[in-house]
This record gives sequence, C-alpha cells and structure tokens, in this order.
Amino acid sequence: MVEVNKEMKEGITAWAKFYKKGMGYFAFAFHRLSGLVILFYLYLHYTVLSNLLRGQATYNAIVKSITYGPYDSFLVLDFLLALVIFYHGANGVRLALNEFGIGMYHHKALFITFEIIAMVLLGLFDYYALQFVGVGF
Amino acid sequence: MADEYEFEIKRKDESGKVYYSTYKVPKDKISTVLEGLLYIKENLDQSLSFRYSCRMEICGSCGMEIDGKPRMACSTIVEDLKKDHIKIEPLKHYKVIRDLVVDIDPFFDKYREVKPYIIRDDDGKYDKELPQTPEQFHEYANFAMCIKCGLCMAACPIEGSDPNYLGPAPLAAAWRYIADNRDQGAKYRVEVVDGEEGTSRCHFAGECTEVCPKGVDPSFAIQKLRRTALKIEIASIFGGR
Ligand code: SF4
Ligand code: FES
Repeated sequence: MVEVNKEMKEGITAWAKFYKKGMGYFAFAFHRLSGLVILFYLYLHYTVLSNLLRGQATYNAIVKSITYGPYDSFLVLDFLLALVIFYHGANGVRLALNEFGIGMYHHKALFITFEIIAMVLLGLFDYYALQFVGVGF
Repeated sequence: MADEYEFEIKRKDESGKVYYSTYKVPKDKISTVLEGLLYIKENLDQSLSFRYSCRMEICGSCGMEIDGKPRMACSTIVEDLKKDHIKIEPLKHYKVIRDLVVDIDPFFDKYREVKPYIIRDDDGKYDKELPQTPEQFHEYANFAMCIKCGLCMAACPIEGSDPNYLGPAPLAAAWRYIADNRDQGAKYRVEVVDGEEGTSRCHFAGECTEVCPKGVDPSFAIQKLRRTALKIEIASIFGGR
C-alpha cells in the first residue's frame, strides 16, 4: 500500500457534512446516522432485557411503565426508531442490489422508490402499533 | 448588484500560517474563476499561488474548492455561482503546499497501484492487430475521459476519514483497463482493488460522480469492479484463474 500523507485526513466527521451535496450523499450520510441510532437502540434493548435477571415481576413492571405510563412518552421514541429502521432497511436493500450490479443506472430512482415504499409500510406499521397499544382512530 | 466580485481566498504562507485574503475583481474583466485569480495575480497580489496550465479542462491541474465544492477553476463560470462573494479554498484531503496549490503525489501513487495500463499475458509480443468493435470501445470510453484532476478524491467522504482508501479515480482507472477487451490484467488488479483499502471501503455516496468535470462516473465503475472481483474470486476457488 502506498504511503499516504496524514494531512489528507479530514477526520471522522468528514462524512457528516452533507450540505451542498447530491442525493447519493444524503442517502449515505443518513444511512450511517440511522445505523448509529439502531446500534444505540440495540444496546438499550439489551439493557432493558437484562432486567429479566431481576425477576419476571420487575421486568413486566418496567415494560408496562414504558407502554402504558408513567413513562409512556418513550413510545414516541419507538416511532422514531421505526422510522430509522425502515429508512435504513430500504436503503440497505438498494445498496445490496447496486453492489450486485442491479439497477446501477437508476440508483437515484431506486433510492426514491424504495424509500417511498418504506414510508408507506412505516405508516401501516405505526397505525397497527397504535391500535395495539389501544390508541384508536 | 455590485459591479465587482469579492474573492475570499484561503492562503497558506511558507511559515505554514493560514489566513484569508479578500480581493475585489471587476465583473466585466473576467468570466471564469481562473480568470479572476489571474486578474488578482496580475493586478492586485503577485504572491497568490495557484496551479493551472491548459485553461480548458484538459490538464486537470486547476482543481480547488469553489463555493464549498471541488471544481475546476478554468471551467467554473463565476456568474453561474449566482453570488458576488466567492469563497475559494485548496482541495480537501490533500496536503497544502502554498495557498491553493496542493501536493497531489499521494493521489498519483494510489493511481499507480492499480496498474493503469494494458497488461497482456503475451507480454505485448502479439503478431497481429488487437481488434476492437465500437461496442467494445464504448465499454470503457467514458472511464478513459479522466483527466486526473483529483476532484473526486477531494469530494469522497471515505477519503476524508481513511486516507489509505484507494479512492474513486484510481478505482475507475482499474475498471477502465479491466473493461478494455485488449487487457488481460484483471486477475492482477483484483488483488489491489478488492483488498482492504479497495472497493469494500466505498459506501456509494456518489459525490465523486457528482463533482467529476468529465462525467466519468467513478461510483458506477466501483460497483462494476465489485462484481468483477467477486466473479474472479469465485472462479479462483474453483481453480479457474
Ligand atoms: S474521475 Fe473525474 S474527478 Fe476524478 S480525477 Fe478523473 S476527471 Fe477528475
Ligand atoms: S487549467 Fe487545465 S484543467 Fe483547468
């Protein structure tokens, strides 16, 4: 490998500057951001699950408190999480297809199409999730 | 509308001090950013340093960050930027030598890594012409348009966080030769382009393609390389090198 000048390095934040960039860059930057959010959620999920070690009653009480109160405002975060997962998943499928050489000539159109489909599915998911927790329309 | 442009230029002197200088350039005297820089050099400040040669987007030497984007100074029409205050900085991801002049050696070192020339199993000792149909020519023609300006390297976010990444132009050059029907060097190039610092580092942000002044589309070439590399790797597992 060639020896590179370390002055070239812009730092870890280089990818987060999507101002004045194209649609592909937007897709890329938000793919990373959403990936970080999902990673954060994964560990949060483990932390909540680890309460099972403190017994069934404790765990059920925690789950109930964040579903039906007094901490049900966390549900809003669940909807944000769903948004992030649907975005990340749809763009991930597009990237996988592109990397196999499928749809490369239309990758921007593919991005828009996949994201529209993902947002429609997200709407359905949110609707049924709200029905599930008892918020009727 | 004022009748002068304001060029705000990022400078770096021989002591390494970084500062900005602002110059007023009459609108009726210039059309491109390069002409603006030449006006400053000839009339306002002889110490301003920048690189250029052909003035017609062929030599690839006048790349710089203009209004927050890597562009060629000679082909950027100031009026098209639709503002009177133009900020000009050296290209990102390169070491600045002085003012707007950057050291492009690391870029060319990376370029050489991908063996950007025709490789033949017969060592070039063929006794008859190597024919090429127009269709075969068009397989790689677009990628042969690269003028090695390095704008794509400055636009690529991965270059910014991992300077070892080969980068868009070298990878596009690898594809340019692999796609050439006269070339037989794919099996050698794959080791470099499919290595740790090759195509797997690309996350398809596509900014290289957005900024390329010649329409080369390096991000497309990288996806093509991925598929080719996979085919060669799979073939090698079954002894098909
Ligand atoms: S691919 Fe385009 S932007 Fe990159 S070096 Fe070649 S001409 Fe310049
Ligand atoms: S001066 Fe040659 S490309 Fe701009």
